[in-house]
Amino acid sequence: MRYRVRHITEYSYGAPVSLCYNMAHLLPRDTRNQRCLNHKIQINPPPVYQNEGQDYFGNQTFYFSIQEAHKKLVIDVTSDFEITPLDALQWQAKSSLTCGELRAMLNAPNTPDLHMAKEYLLDSPQIRRSQALKDYAQATFTDDQPLLSAALAFTHKIFTEFKFDPDTTTVATPLEQVLEQRSGVCQDFAHLAIGCLRSVGIPARYMSGYLETLPPPGQEKLVGADASHAWFAVFVPELGWVEFDPTNDIMPSDQHIVTAWGRDYADVTPLQGVIFEGGGSQQLAVSVDVQRR
Amino acid sequence: MQSQKGSPVAQMNTADVVPAQVSSYDQPINAYDEAFKENRQPRPHWEHLLKSVRALGDEEMLNKQRRAQRILREDGATYNLTSDPLTPSVWSLDLIPNVIHHQEWQAIEKGLVQRSTLFDLILKDLYGPQELLKNGIIPSEIIFSHPGFLRQCHEVFVPGPHQLLLHAVDMVRDNTGQFQIIGDRTQAPSGAGYSLENRTVVSRVIPSIFRDSQVHRLSHFFQTLKGMLSKLASGWTDTPRIVLLSPGAMSSTYFEQAYLANYLGFPLVQGSDLTVRNGAVWMKSLNGLARVDVILRRVEDAYCDQAELRTDSYLGVPGLLEVARAGNVAIANPLGSGILEAPALLKFLPAISQFLTSETLALPSVATWWCGDSEDLNYVLANINQLIIKPAIRRHNSNSVYGHTLTDEAKANTIEMIKKQPHLYVAQSYVPGSMSPIWREGKLQARPSLLRAFTVADDDSFAVMPGGLSRVGDTSKESIVSNLSESQSKDTWVLSNQPEVPKSFVADTLLQDEALQTNLPSRVVENLFWMGRYAERAEISMRLLRTLFKQMNGIDPLPEDSLRILLETVSTQTECLPGFIDADAALLANPDEELVAIITDATRPGSIKANLHAMLSCGEQVKEMLSADTRIIINELRDHIHDLDRAYINGLPPAPEESLDSLVTSLLALSGLNHESMLRGLDWTFQEIGRRTERALQTAKLLRSSLTKPLPGAQQKQILESVLLSVEALISFRRRYRNRSRVAYGLDLLMIDGSNPRSLLYQVEQLRKYMKELPRNDVPTAGLSPENRLIIKSLNDIQLADLEALSQVDESSQTRLALEQLMTQLLEQLEQFTALISDKYFDHTERPQPLIKNNWEANL
Repeated sequence: MRYRVRHITEYSYGAPVSLCYNMAHLLPRDTRNQRCLNHKIQINPPPVYQNEGQDYFGNQTFYFSIQEAHKKLVIDVTSDFEITPLDALQWQAKSSLTCGELRAMLNAPNTPDLHMAKEYLLDSPQIRRSQALKDYAQATFTDDQPLLSAALAFTHKIFTEFKFDPDTTTVATPLEQVLEQRSGVCQDFAHLAIGCLRSVGIPARYMSGYLETLPPPGQEKLVGADASHAWFAVFVPELGWVEFDPTNDIMPSDQHIVTAWGRDYADVTPLQGVIFEGGGSQQLAVSVDVQRR
Repeated sequence: MQSQKGSPVAQMNTADVVPAQVSSYDQPINAYDEAFKENRQPRPHWEHLLKSVRALGDEEMLNKQRRAQRILREDGATYNLTSDPLTPSVWSLDLIPNVIHHQEWQAIEKGLVQRSTLFDLILKDLYGPQELLKNGIIPSEIIFSHPGFLRQCHEVFVPGPHQLLLHAVDMVRDNTGQFQIIGDRTQAPSGAGYSLENRTVVSRVIPSIFRDSQVHRLSHFFQTLKGMLSKLASGWTDTPRIVLLSPGAMSSTYFEQAYLANYLGFPLVQGSDLTVRNGAVWMKSLNGLARVDVILRRVEDAYCDQAELRTDSYLGVPGLLEVARAGNVAIANPLGSGILEAPALLKFLPAISQFLTSETLALPSVATWWCGDSEDLNYVLANINQLIIKPAIRRHNSNSVYGHTLTDEAKANTIEMIKKQPHLYVAQSYVPGSMSPIWREGKLQARPSLLRAFTVADDDSFAVMPGGLSRVGDTSKESIVSNLSESQSKDTWVLSNQPEVPKSFVADTLLQDEALQTNLPSRVVENLFWMGRYAERAEISMRLLRTLFKQMNGIDPLPEDSLRILLETVSTQTECLPGFIDADAALLANPDEELVAIITDATRPGSIKANLHAMLSCGEQVKEMLSADTRIIINELRDHIHDLDRAYINGLPPAPEESLDSLVTSLLALSGLNHESMLRGLDWTFQEIGRRTERALQTAKLLRSSLTKPLPGAQQKQILESVLLSVEALISFRRRYRNRSRVAYGLDLLMIDGSNPRSLLYQVEQLRKYMKELPRNDVPTAGLSPENRLIIKSLNDIQLADLEALSQVDESSQTRLALEQLMTQLLEQLEQFTALISDKYFDHTERPQPLIKNNWEANL
């Protein structure tokens, strides 16, 4: 499957900003089934300095700095992808590793992958393990449960027990609250699942990207209607990282486009940085289009 | 084991010994003694020193100790834990150095080089291939859960063979005399500058003992440091600009930073003095932006860049990390190096060393357990009495717990705390440290001691400072001195077996340009400017108050009208308002309380003390610019302020007019010194502009508030004379005009007499002169710049003033309206002038704000 994604981020400031330094995680990365064919990034006003690179997690980064006064900042990214489908369900049949076995392996790690997977077992900037999270997930991930079917069941559990509601959370809503109110958006569900998994001793990481949405039959797709999306992945020693999308109750195959992964949202924030002067009332508008080619 | 009785000194030479020295040097059991053998004979390499100290005798040692403290105070050597400009803690130094034999030192040196080399390799690995983690040599969760591991710094390397450039190592001796390493400092190690200061003081106070002892010199270490730093930028420049990045005057080791900056010849800058533009780092100077190539930093990792690291930092340079990533600036140590300070690493060092270098460590680390390992946890819980419990993540407020000092209840709490989050705790076996003799109360006393050693990257290896910073505990009680604040320091002498030939150094390739003169950070200049202004404000207010006290306590009672005018003048002059403005009869009758507040209430803006505090704070900010003599006067000033507090503790003292004399004298000495010994660079010019503008403003204000209101003959004379007295012009006035005390004559002397250094004209003429010396860093404009225009306008207003008209009383308002109007106009022009100067030359960038409020959580 080939896609073209156009992602436009627009910041409007109440007063002119004289100077800014930004680190963006907006450029796509390659994964085992995704290849980025090309990408184009346009920034207005034009940066005086810019640099593409790779971060600690292997994600593509884009750093830029603007030195002219501006009240509006527009970042326009267009990228083309080729994605091959994954037969994720088939892995489930093949992999018989239980949760207990994985925990034992992590307890006495003997491969580089296991040693490195521990990074995703610990607390991270926005996700802390807790008793409440453990309580919520414990029954699903008992020692004798096969890991993959447990993770799938857990994905389904979140999907059915939580309500998708963009009005109940913000970027800063703590996990405890999400768990309490049983509602949130894709980012909250991904964080929640990761927090639960880590709380029961299973390494999990945050996936950030896009999802292709299809219009209802007979209707035309609206421009800008797609959105950034987030889901999670679980570490399975013989398979690597296996992805789950609790917002849609599926295992991603070829409709999920990955931009970056990390321990949580803080590692892959689309745009971070500082501005000098101005700012005031900041407004952010984001539009995303995912088109099949 | 040593016996508890007898005296080592006594056995050395019984006849000469002062008895007081003898009994006091009790050697504790179970500790190695630096100076004495078990039979209480001095160790051979200590003999000369101990003999010489004894020969000096009690009194002379006391004198020398006092002299050392005085030099330290005069040098401004402080270790501040509070930010109070009045009570800095003077760095504490014991005169008796810690002596180490050169043979023993050679072994230590080898061990230190090996350790630094290893730490360098660890740093490269953690921010690169991470083989140590992948192979389980270091349990990965130690690194992954540590906030000092900055993923943003992944693969950001400084040019050259090393990543770890500066390393400090804390070590103690166990009871066999073997050194054991208890911790490392790898971000921005402090202490090397204090070592240098200690050496300077000790060699000045006991010069002959120092000379005869053949002590290894420290200068080579600093030359190596300087050479290493300048090589870092060799990829893009032969004349690198190197700056020392300081957290600022609030930093507890600010003295050391200022001292090192001066010694090494680097500008001392703060985060806000630097800016990132066009992918490079620049220093904001009076001449515009000057490219910075190398940063020697004293700011901690996470605080260095608000764009990528902690957005809530006040100390960083937004965008700095990206410049380092792009290879356009070199930072020593590189950002992220703090991870090497994780105490849990000590446990794994032998294995790490085997894995990376196949070597065994020559200098062992103290036995360390990491509670994240279940076996270790069990051991720690069972043996807590013999252990020190340390947090696995070092923070400013984190303290070590000494198991053997705990009560049962505290022990139970500690165990509970560890069990809850075992991976956050590390335990080390308790090594009390060796005993070192200090001179205290006229005798030698034994104190537990600790040595901080320093290494610096040098070509393919590391150079070690011969010696280091020795610190001793405050009591003889067994406890390791880990905190700089609670200890006394010592010079450390590594004895050489032959006289040392001074090495000649390669010619300095560093920027020797106008750098230090014109490339001062604007912040420095701004502080000098304000220092001048505050000093002037304080001085004029004090003079005025002194005059007021004289008049109030004079033989003739002051008529109420006159008293009111003088008191109101005090209030308007100090801007301690409302004060005496429109005071009622009760306040006029009892002005003491308000007067005391105007003098001693530091919380009241405009008070004498507030101005002096502000002046001292500015001075502290530019410590590195102040001459030795200036520091002496500033110390005196601090003493006088303390005296003032004492004098005013119960309200106005008996002779209040005398209470301010010594402060006025110190301020005069300060301005005199500026004139006599400061180079006429831009720093001087700006300080002078500050002073002159302030004096002009104060004088105009004084004339306006004291002379606007007309009084009958004798009373008017009294007020005029008070004004003249307070600006030191009364004698000249009497000489010139005899008994003709007219307001117009007074104005002549105070306004337009160019030969009076306190007249308005004199100030503005000087300002006119200084303006010509300022850099013109703006686009050339046609005609005069606005600030010049204001000065020339003021000059004309003063010179063209009709003094007779000014002294006339306006019929309708019954005031000297023309005088009031002219002074008001001058005040406005001068205020506008300072605003323009400050806009043009000083930096007004606001703090950066985060784009998105991001909860950057350092504390996991």
